[in-house]
Amino acid sequence: MKLFTKYNIILMAISLFGLLLIGSLFYRLLGYYLDQQIDHDLVEEIMEVKEYASEGNFYQPHEFEDLVVQYKKIKKANPSSSYADTIFYNPVKHHKETARYLKTELELLGQPYQILVIASKTERQEQIQNICLIILIPVMLLFALVLLVNRILLKKIWTPFEQLLKNITAFNINHEVPYQPVEMPVAEFRQLNKVLVELSGKVKSDYNEIKLFTENASHEMMTPLAVINSKLDNMLQSNVLGKEHGETLGELYKATSRLTKLNQSLLLLVKIDNNLLQDREKINLKSLIEEKCVYFQELIHARNIHVEFALTDVSIYANQQLLEILINNLFSNVIRHNYDGGQIEIRLDHEKMIFANTSHHPALDPEKIFDRFYKDHASEGTGLGLAILKQICNRQHYLLHYTYHQDLHTFTITFKH
Amino acid sequence: MKILIIEDEPGLQQSIAQYLMSEGNQCSLASTYAQALERLELYDYDCILLDLGLPDGEGLQLLNYLKRLNRTEGVIILSARNSIDQKIEGLRLGADDYLTKPFHLSELNARILAIVRRKSAHGERHIEFKEIRIDLDAKEVLVKGKLVYLTKKEFDLLLYFVANKGKVISKSAAVEHIWGDDSDMADSFDFIYTHIKNIRKKLTDAGSGDYFQSVYGVGYKFMEI
Repeated sequence: MKLFTKYNIILMAISLFGLLLIGSLFYRLLGYYLDQQIDHDLVEEIMEVKEYASEGNFYQPHEFEDLVVQYKKIKKANPSSSYADTIFYNPVKHHKETARYLKTELELLGQPYQILVIASKTERQEQIQNICLIILIPVMLLFALVLLVNRILLKKIWTPFEQLLKNITAFNINHEVPYQPVEMPVAEFRQLNKVLVELSGKVKSDYNEIKLFTENASHEMMTPLAVINSKLDNMLQSNVLGKEHGETLGELYKATSRLTKLNQSLLLLVKIDNNLLQDREKINLKSLIEEKCVYFQELIHARNIHVEFALTDVSIYANQQLLEILINNLFSNVIRHNYDGGQIEIRLDHEKMIFANTSHHPALDPEKIFDRFYKDHASEGTGLGLAILKQICNRQHYLLHYTYHQDLHTFTITFKH
Repeated sequence: MKILIIEDEPGLQQSIAQYLMSEGNQCSLASTYAQALERLELYDYDCILLDLGLPDGEGLQLLNYLKRLNRTEGVIILSARNSIDQKIEGLRLGADDYLTKPFHLSELNARILAIVRRKSAHGERHIEFKEIRIDLDAKEVLVKGKLVYLTKKEFDLLLYFVANKGKVISKSAAVEHIWGDDSDMADSFDFIYTHIKNIRKKLTDAGSGDYFQSVYGVGYKFMEI
């Protein structure tokens, strides 16, 4: 829920509750006040009755007074009086109305009478209703106005914040553009902006440092590797090596070669990260794939792998070196993880390129396979091949997908999206 | 051949010298820019191996020096950086080849031979080994005058072994020579076996001797029996 909506809902609920509470209190208070006034009038009427009686008459009110005085003979008059609400038939208006009465017993002209004075409340009640309306409508209007102003104001105040959110979302550690600060009129937002500028700067510089470290570390390792390699090459020329030593040398060669490959892959990743391979040119993907297929043909034939092509003549603008690495890695991947007599499917059209292969491996975890150093224990690869694939696709803004369907491990690269 | 090795890493410098000297070359050593300059002022060489990361100066300056004097030595840059920009800059300044560390000594040797052959005035465009004749321009192999059909990779591999004849070449070196470093083909080690087997068969079928020898299962040697 948006902050604004949440705030409004709470505000409205509280206001409504308050309005109801205050409204009903107000209404009751007014009603009480009205009753008091009517009661006062009723007492006055009784006094009038007494006054008339002293002159020997029975008092009857005027028609316009909405008042009825009833006399009833009783045996004995108890000097008591009671007030209450009632409903009475208004003889003037000819309908029933809510009213207030005063019942009292008096000696009139020497006889005990029960006197009932009934006064209509309708008019006064209408007055109350009118008063309530007169107060309520402006309050409601004011309330609506406050809501509206709130909405406009909040929207205006939050606009830079939303811009800030957009800029954070757009911030990418791999991109050249730094976090774009936003002009903030509000102190808290200004502080947030400041913190973000500092944070993004720190993140960026830390990230660059890590990249630089990786690059330097990998480069520094190349010279010792060269020493190891050259020493091995010389040692291999010795005529006094036994079979056992020979095998040890073989293992050393393999390990050195893997370490070298690992270093080269890390350097390549840094290079792609740093966007050093930027020049774009028109590349015919179909001929590139065919060329690479010839390059790998001995490996494919030796393992008796059947390759199925469905290539459309497609040219794209991309970096030549990156694309070559991409195709190389895809080919290496589909050959390496295949079994003898297996199958490779390569499809290319204007939207996508698909490399699929059979394998003894079950389906891989599509969430993890593009992570660095993700590989199964049996694999002799560096565990960086697919990470490099992913990185190249990111750089070229392609989508890379892995699916497993009908025993085929399928890598799909979508060019446009 | 006279070769100047300019390399500040003593272990590597010594290994290179050992390998090249066992091939019958004369090697001079230099570990700094100053030493290298001194040697170059005094002597002529057939080939110079130049490490770009020297402690007391940029290796590229030596290239400038050679270019200014119109020296004809072949230069191979040895660099820990596989950087295209550096490669282009080096070749522009007159280097003949660029080798990224780590490399195999057999690879270095093959490249030295290729450059010297290209630079030499009489320009031998073919190599002979007993009854095998390798034509470098046409990329053809003839055994006793008869054409032997080899694939491109087989041709490259044969040339590589002939250039390092008498030396054991590890499978690792052979794989890297054929596949380069951009393909992640560590498990194609045993694949070299198939290649060698094919080359052997094609050569012996054409009437040549079998000069390949397997060594401890680590590599192969091409030599006179």
